[in-house]
Formats: sequence, structure tokens, C-alpha cells
Amino acid sequence: MYRVGFDVGGTFTDFTIHDEGSDAVRHFKVPSTPSDPSEAIETGLAELIEQLAIRPDQLAFVGHGTTVATNMVIERRGVRTGLITTKGFRDVLEIGRQTRPHLFDYSIGKPEPLVPRQRRIEVSGRIDVEARCLTPLDEEAVREAACLLVADGAQAIAICFLHSYLDDAQERRAAEIVRDVAPDAYVSTSSGVLPEFREYERFSTTVINAYVGPRMDRYLDRFLGRLEALGIAAQPYTIHSNGGLMSVETVRDNPVRTCLSGPAAGVVGAAEVGKQAGLLNLITFDVGGTSTDVSLVEAGAPAFAASRMVADHPVRTPMVDIHVIGAGGGSIAWLDDAGALKVGPHSAGADPGPVGYGRGGTEPTLTDANIVLHRLNPVTLLGGRMKVDEAAARRAIEERIARPLGLSVEDAALGIIRIAVANMSRAIRAVSTEKGHDLADFALFPYGGAGPLHALAVAEECDIRRVLVPQEPGTMCARGILMSDLSLDFVKSEIIVADAGSWPRIVAQFDGMRERGLAWFEAERVAPAQRSMSCVVEARYKGQNHEVQVRLEQEPAAVAFETFVACFRAAHRREYGYDVDGLAIEVVNCRLKVVGAVERHPPRVPQTHDAAPQPKEQRSVRFAQGWLDTPVYDRATLGTGITLAGPAIVDEMSSTTVVAPGQRLAVDTLGNLIVEL
Amino acid sequence: MTASLQDSLPALRTTGETRLADPIAMEVFSNRLLSITEEMGNTLVRSSFSTNIKERKDCSVALFDGRGRLICQASHVPLHLGSLMGSVTAVLKACSVERMRDGDAFICNDPYLAGGTHMPDISIVTPVFIDGAVRFFAANIGHHSDVGGSVPGSISGTARSIFEEGLRIPVIRIVRAGELDEDLLNLVSQNSREAEERSLDLKVQIATNERGKRLLLALANQMGLEAMTGAVDDLLAYTGRRLRNRIRDMQDGRASFVAYLDDDGLGGERVPLQANVIVDGERLILDFTGSGPQARGAMNVAESALLATCYYVVKTLLDPELLPNSGMFSCVEVSSPAGSILNPSYPAPVGARSITCNKVARALFGAFAQLLPPERAMASSQDVVPVIIFSGQRRRDDGTFVYLESMGGGAGARHGGDGMDGIHVHITNTSNLPAEALENEYALLVDEYALVEDSGGAGRHRGGMGIARQISATRDGIVFSARSDGHRAGAPGLFGGLDGRTARLVRDHGTEQAEELSSKISNLVLQAGQSVRLETPGGGGFGLPAERELAALAQDIRSGKSSRAQAERDYGPEMVTRALDLRG
Repeated sequence: MYRVGFDVGGTFTDFTIHDEGSDAVRHFKVPSTPSDPSEAIETGLAELIEQLAIRPDQLAFVGHGTTVATNMVIERRGVRTGLITTKGFRDVLEIGRQTRPHLFDYSIGKPEPLVPRQRRIEVSGRIDVEARCLTPLDEEAVREAACLLVADGAQAIAICFLHSYLDDAQERRAAEIVRDVAPDAYVSTSSGVLPEFREYERFSTTVINAYVGPRMDRYLDRFLGRLEALGIAAQPYTIHSNGGLMSVETVRDNPVRTCLSGPAAGVVGAAEVGKQAGLLNLITFDVGGTSTDVSLVEAGAPAFAASRMVADHPVRTPMVDIHVIGAGGGSIAWLDDAGALKVGPHSAGADPGPVGYGRGGTEPTLTDANIVLHRLNPVTLLGGRMKVDEAAARRAIEERIARPLGLSVEDAALGIIRIAVANMSRAIRAVSTEKGHDLADFALFPYGGAGPLHALAVAEECDIRRVLVPQEPGTMCARGILMSDLSLDFVKSEIIVADAGSWPRIVAQFDGMRERGLAWFEAERVAPAQRSMSCVVEARYKGQNHEVQVRLEQEPAAVAFETFVACFRAAHRREYGYDVDGLAIEVVNCRLKVVGAVERHPPRVPQTHDAAPQPKEQRSVRFAQGWLDTPVYDRATLGTGITLAGPAIVDEMSSTTVVAPGQRLAVDTLGNLIVEL
Repeated sequence: MTASLQDSLPALRTTGETRLADPIAMEVFSNRLLSITEEMGNTLVRSSFSTNIKERKDCSVALFDGRGRLICQASHVPLHLGSLMGSVTAVLKACSVERMRDGDAFICNDPYLAGGTHMPDISIVTPVFIDGAVRFFAANIGHHSDVGGSVPGSISGTARSIFEEGLRIPVIRIVRAGELDEDLLNLVSQNSREAEERSLDLKVQIATNERGKRLLLALANQMGLEAMTGAVDDLLAYTGRRLRNRIRDMQDGRASFVAYLDDDGLGGERVPLQANVIVDGERLILDFTGSGPQARGAMNVAESALLATCYYVVKTLLDPELLPNSGMFSCVEVSSPAGSILNPSYPAPVGARSITCNKVARALFGAFAQLLPPERAMASSQDVVPVIIFSGQRRRDDGTFVYLESMGGGAGARHGGDGMDGIHVHITNTSNLPAEALENEYALLVDEYALVEDSGGAGRHRGGMGIARQISATRDGIVFSARSDGHRAGAPGLFGGLDGRTARLVRDHGTEQAEELSSKISNLVLQAGQSVRLETPGGGGFGLPAERELAALAQDIRSGKSSRAQAERDYGPEMVTRALDLRG
């Protein structure tokens, strides 16, 4: 049987196929088809079935990463959406937190709300913070609002009432009325999407869910249709922002949870590959054409964030914590009028791209600097499929950078790389040392097309002692999907001062969630042996507004209040460096995560190649020490256990690793490249 | 008074052709510095206890060289821009570097004795020794929620002298050669209504500088002291040159603009704040001659706060990405008449300066608009920091609460588009407290939180909208105070744009007892069910209303941001009809 994972990116759709029989893993890419991303998926799957000469029903597992929801928000291509909300609060979505996005630059505006003001309609109905009804729901007003919205062409309606995280009765009733009036509309309630307090973040998340819901539905229909047409019987899964898998049916109800789909898979995959290699603490470093994604994995588990911004709209669902900066292969090098050399944040992207790619780019990029120094093949790339124009890249760096600064082209190119490395290193410090971690305890895990190209320089700049380059770093996200488990998060929000008297009530918050979790296990047909649940209490000292997460290591009901307090204080110390004896503790959220483990084989140990590695070519490459005659290896020819001394370059389909003089590279028993610094 | 806290380097005055010694090393170094200040800032925010520093991030961190030049600052609050320079200058004046010892740290806050901005902002300054000499300083400033004085929070608009504004701290060593002076820490803490919080936060401020010190030492180890000082010189020279390029882009000349405070905080006549901006080649002079006399109350602005406001405006209008360091600040000359509200004489109170600072920003924006190309100009914004304060019994127990919120309003319209609706402008940028969080904590109910219809000034581009926040008491005896402005005149429009709407404060809005209150009110007692509503000012419009795109006007009316009646007054009935006839 075969397992296949694929990740739909902006330029390519990446595939990873694991043959469970022979344990072989294959990677390939097909060009993405942005107008209907499922087209590239079908093309790739058909190719795969044909090339491997397998039957469609031999695909036992199909998992995918998708940017459909995110792109809809970024490009504002969701459906016309309406909002029905509590009287007095229709502008919550527009005021947000009343802050301006940039302290000094007023040309950077707040995002236009996804629902314009005329489609945000207020209705009477209000409960207070103890869930007591102050004003009953005006059902007639809800009916009228729904009619108005439908008449205005709304295809989706979000229902967001104040304090609905405490009691969802008014929202549920409103949803019934709306469905009655508008049976075709996609309806999301804030208590259904995110029953968590703080209205702006909850309303925003709910509105995005509604906004992307209908088109996500249609995309999934097309996607399922194409799988069916290919004869694939396996039910496909989608990776969501917390790095777990969801069924198509769950995605239909919760499309907002897919907004970090692909990148989360990459981090989950990195954590898994690291674990197999015995490296539990990692900094993941994913460098693409326009951006660099950095995240932290500690003790084998990715760091999570409770929310992030998508096109400047807050989305609050548990997700892998990924820090993004505008630095990638396409980042443009430029001089400002006071004589400083900058790299990025503007990018030549894929189009027009670097000057050396000859597709109309005129501004020198980081990739051009790598071409000029021959770290990238100065003649052809992508295994000969793309011609490189080294002379044009040189000319651009010469004219725009080197001459004005009075430097040689090589020194200018080295400078461009040094500055890009400094920018990337700052992102790495932001997720690690700036949060109290010591980089000496971490290994760098580069992937993406340009990660391994700069990883060793970045590791040196950051004092990271070890680097692990996985196989085919350019398809890590697709590979990560094959290493993920099914999971779903639930939350219950109620602010309760924790003491021995209230503790049983706090613990009881998990009961309802557990029932829903069990129902989900049934729906997803997760075998009992594969099921697990984890419980987290988010709490704070009274008077604060930042919560810390306290993981309950036992059944919530079995946790004594004193144990919880001790765990809270330890967590507070870990997070903020101190704790306070005797200060009252408030519980804010209870979170339950249910996980259905996916059965998969352990990775194969690749066969050792006996022969000493033979370079496929020798090339003169520029390092800080000067031009050096450098062997270039095809990664597929490097057997396990082999070591190489730099200078050396290792090429593979999706990436290039650069080893500087004085550095030593080893191939571990799983086929990863390991460099100790 | 002058902004040039140290003479700028003469050699770097020559612009244009001089090359930086090593632009690549400078850029790499600048990234390292930003990492260090970010890490210090994170440490301060993460480890502090008080809501003010932890949640509102009302704090800043900075690195200085041994001569007291600011190299790099991470600021979450524009009102802190460069304000640590006042502290470091005061420290150097009080104690020469020869008398400092490794492991020392200094504390200060006083606006008259130690370059402070107002008393609640306490600075800690730590010398960094390399090879036996002071080569750098790590410094940070945090807004402490109470430092004593006549009212909780230490900011009273009606204070009559600095002595009513809390504990005055001149430059004092609080750590001596690595040993914390617990007695002094205790003295400072016990002069606050929240002693434990003070002590925790001050220790965090000291630890934050220690962290900065370790990171600077590590960097010096990695790159060498000589390369480091070379990169500092390059960085300051580069920043100065970049700003001078922007100044030379402006037309030479002099322009003035007068903004007004409704009153001086204790009632009476409006108070003029006059900004005179003079551009002469690459010199930029900001002078405030013509501004009103020293206020009787606490709306006076101390030197550090005025400089911060000036630096904020220069950075915003000329080069938002410019690094805030001495290279930038040494290009800006600031002067204001002694004995005026912008240069008060000891012992005038200065605690409630934030509204005045935002009006100073309005005056500067207005004057710059006459010298900048129109695409960089911006109409006046709400330009207030409206504060509402509720206190009373907590909701769930018998303890008391104080809830303070500073509200957003409309931004001025720009050449590039409408002003932003409902935001903080200029020297502050703090988040609201969500209604659901507020109702959980306090015996209050939020009746409405909305944009104010018709509050944005009409024009080719519309001014941003003010915010209405209406809150009612759910228990008897809730005490309410407010400190607002802009109730008498709206934010002026620019290039023919109309003014934004004024602010107003109303008790029991929408009932028969409704009553408009004055902009500064203290200790109004509310019974259960009674409410107060503050509507903050809108922003001014940009360009003639007749030039507004019809589709944008139609959207204003359809969305209820403008009423049809008001739109007909501002744009004319015919234009409104044409706009609404468009199929949108």
C-alpha cells in the first residue's frame, strides 16, 4: 500500500509518496494551478499512479495541505457575508483593538473589515457575564436582518453575540431562524467556531469562517470529485493550523482552522524527522522565494500560538507558532540614498524573479548573489530544466551595488549574503533567545528551496552548533503530512477564581468537551487504541491579562487543587521568570485536544553505499577565503555514514546545501546530512 | 533648550559623497543591536508584573555608547522616543564615568533634576564595562502605575506643583558594584500605593539592563571592540545623513500653525500651542514661540516629553523607518520660551502632559503640511488622549477597582486616502479592554462601543471617525472621572477638507435626564443603571469635498458613516443624489 501527502504552494504543488511495501519514499513537484488548485492535485496524482504503475485503490492514505482559505482572505475572494450581532457592537469588527498598525507610518492602514458596515446588523438580546438574560433575543429582528442580508446577496451569515462563550442559546436560536429564512446560506455562530472570551478576536475568527466557508465547500467538492474520477477510494485528510489532520467534513464546518495548513505540516514533519535522528530541540528554518518561516521545536513538540494575523485579521485557533520575515531567494538588494546596503523586504518573487533566471528581472536578488559566487549552479538549475544567465546577474550586482559602494562584484555578493544571513538570524533569535531559550541547546533544521543554501552561515552567526538537512528539503511540508495524526481542539471559556471550592467546577468544564471529543473519535472511526486526549488549563494571576498554559498530566478529575497550583506556579516561573506566593489565580480557558494516532511504519534505514562519494563535477566557488575548487555531489549518491570536508556542495532536486571550508558534513543512518560546528 | 545633547560629529556634516567605512558591517551590526534591544524589551515586558508594563507595554529600552550617544532604542510608545537620553545625560552629569564601577546601576525619574518626562516614568541606567572602562550604557524606562502623590495613579490634572505628583528621584545609584541597595528600593516602593508591584517591576528593570549588558559583552567578544565602535560611528553618521537628505527634500522656509487646548486643565480660556517650523538647507528648527503660558494644572510638558513629541513627528512625516538614535536627533533643533506650557518653570506640575503633547503634534503636522509635498501631508487627527476612569466596588467581591481607559478616535485624512477610523494617534497606541473582559472584572456594563456617525470631516478624503463608548454602572456608588479635550473645536481639515466633529461627554444619554458634561470632570457618582458616554473627536478631511469620488461618498452613506442629511450639507444634495444613483 502507498501513502501520499501533497502540499499546494503558490508556485508548485509538492508530493511525497511512501511505499509501505518497499519503504521507498519519492518526492516530486508539479506546477500549481491557482484558479483551481485541485487541478494540479489531479495531475500529480495521475502522474504518480502511472509512473509507479499502481492501482488507485492501493493509495491507503491521502493527506493534503491547502492555502485555499488563506488566499481567499488575502485576496478578498470570499463570498458576500453578513453579520448579525448584539445591539451596540456592530463596529467591534472595525474598531478592533483601537490601535494603529504602524506607530509611525499612517500609510499603513487597518484592514477593511470582511463584512462592510451596511451588512453588519444589530439585534436586541443581551446576556451578562453571569449568563443571566438582560434582554431576550428579538427573534423578529433576527428574521428581518436575515431577509435584508439575503436580499443584499449575502451567501454566508455570521452570528456573533456578546458573552455567547458562556451560553450559546441566543446564538443557536438566531442560527435556526437564519437557516429558516435563508436555507442556502452558510451560517457560522461564534460559540460554534470559537467559544472563547474577548469579543473582537472571536467575532473576527467567526466572520472569516463564514467568509471562506462556501467557496471552501465548492473547492472540497471539486477535490473529492477528482479523487473519485481517479478511482481513489481513501477518504482524504486536510492538515490544519495545529499540525493535525481533519476529515473533509470537519473542514467544511471549520475552514478557518486551515489557515496555516502547509507551514504547520512542515514543522510537524521537522519535529518528527528530528526525533528519529535523536534531535529533540530544533529551530526550523524554511526559506522560500519571498519569505523565511522560523519556528521552535522543544522536546520534540512544536511551540504553539493561540492566534495569529491573517491579512491583518486576527484568527484565534490553536496553531503552530511560526515567525515569518520577508527574506528569501527573491529578496532584492538595494542601496538607499544615505549609502546603506539593504536586502529585502521587497522581493522579485517568482515573477519577474532573480536577474539570473532571465525572466525579466532587473534588480539583483539574494539568488543572484548565490549565482555570482557559484554557490548555485551558474549554468543551469532544476536538474538542467532552467538556464541561468550568470553574466546578467553579475551585471546587475556590479551596476546597482558594487560600483556605488566601491566594491568588487564578489565582495558585494558576499555582502548581500551576509546581510540576508543577519536578517534571518534576527528572526531566529526572535523565536529563541528573546523568549529565554539558549541556542546552544538547539539544532538548526533548514528546509525550503533556499534553507540549506544559507543554513550553515546562519548557524555560525547564531552560535548554533548542529545542523540537520533533511532529504529533499524543498518538499518538507508534503512529507510532514505523512507524519501527522488526526486531531481537533476544543475550548471552554469561563473566568473563575480558582480555589479548593471552585476547583471541581473548573474540572467539570472538561466533561462536555470530552463527550464531543468521543463523538468525534466515533465519527472519524479512530480505533480505541489510537485515541488520546490532553487537557490544558489557561490561568493567570488575578489582575493580569496574560494567561499561562498548565498541562494536566492526569485525568482532570484526579488532579488535586494543590497540584494544579504548584503546576501553575512552575509554568508561570518558566514563562515569566517568577511566581508569587499566595496571590489569587484565575482560570480563563479549559482546552481539550483529542488525537487519533495514524498508523504508519517506522522509517527505513537506507542502505549504505560502499563506494567513496564521487562528485558529479568540480566547480570554482567563492567563499570568504576566496575562489576554491569545490566538489559538487549529487545527494542520491551519498551513502549513510559517509563524511565530507568542506568546501563542498550537495545538490538534490529541490535544494542545494553549501558546506564552507573547515566544516564537516556527515550522512546519518537515516540519510540526513548532519554538520557539527 | 536644545535637542543636541551632544555635538554632532563635524566630519559627518558633509553629505553626499562621503562613504561609510563599512556599510555591510554596519547593517549586520544594526541587526545585532535590534536583536539586543528586542530581547531586552521582551525581558522587561514578559517578566514585569504590573499591567502597565506587561499588557500596555508602556516601556522602552535603549543602548548608548560611552559618550552618552543613543545608538538604538526599542520603543512601544512614541512618547518615550529619545526620552532615555535625558536620563543618561543626567547620569553622566551626576557621576563621571571614572567614578562608576562595574556592576553599578542608576535610578531616576524627576523631570527637573534628571531629564524625566513625568514622575511615573522611572529610568534605570547601567554602565557596561569592557576592558576596564565604560564603553556602553544599557537603559530602560517603565511607566509605574503609582509613585505616590495626591491621587491614585499619580496623575492629577489639578495638581498644583511637582510635589503633588509623587516621589521625586534624582540620579541615585540603586545597585553598587553588583549589590542592590535594598533600603533604597524599599524607600521607593513604599512611596507607592502598590509597594510590592513597584519592587517587582524595578527589579525586573535592573535585570533587563543586566541582560543587555551580557548581550553587548558577547557581541564585543564576537566582533571586537574596535569594529563595534566603528560600526556605531557609521550607524549614527548614516542615520543623520539619511534624515538630512529628507530635510533637504523639503522647501526652505518657515511655517507656523496654532493648535488649541480647550482649557489649561482647570477651566478658563483656550490655550494656544504654536509650532514654528524652519527649514534652512539641511537644518531643521522646531520652535514654539507663541505658545501659551505655563498651565496652573498638570498639562505642562517637560523637556523630554516635548523632544519625544518632536522626534515622533519628524520620524513620522519624513522617514518612518528611520532608526531612532542620536544621529537622527542631532539633526533636529528644538526651542520653546521659558515659562510657557511647553517649557514650564520648576516646580510646575507636568503629570498630565499627554493631551498637550498630542496637540503639539497637531501644531507640528499643521506647520509641516505647508513645507512638505502634499502627498506627505496629513490633516489634523483627534489629537487627544481621552481618558475615562471608573472606580468602585468590584463585581464579585468587596474589593475596590480602578478602571482606566484611554480611547481612540479619528485620524486625519491624507493625500493617499481616508483617515483611519477609531485609532490611537501620535504619542500613544494602547489597546482597548474588551467589553467581555471589562464586564467580568468590574461592576459595569458596556451599552455601546461604536463609531460616531458624521464625525469624520468631509473632503476628497474623509477624516477618520471618532469612537463612542457608553458604560453604565451595575452597582450604586461608581465614581467616574474623565480627562478629555477637543470638545470646543474639531480637528481642522487640510487643503479645503472640512473639520472633524468635536468630542462630547454625556451622562444618561438617550434618557430624559441626559446631560452634557465638561471635558474634565472628577468624581461624578453614578447609581446603578446610570451611564456615561464619551464620543471622541473625528479627524479632519483632506481636499475639497466636491472632489470626493462618488462611489466613496455613496459607501459613506450606505454604511451609515455619514448620514444623508449631513452629507447633503457637506457635499451638496445634487452630488449626494448622483452618488446614490450609482449602482454599487
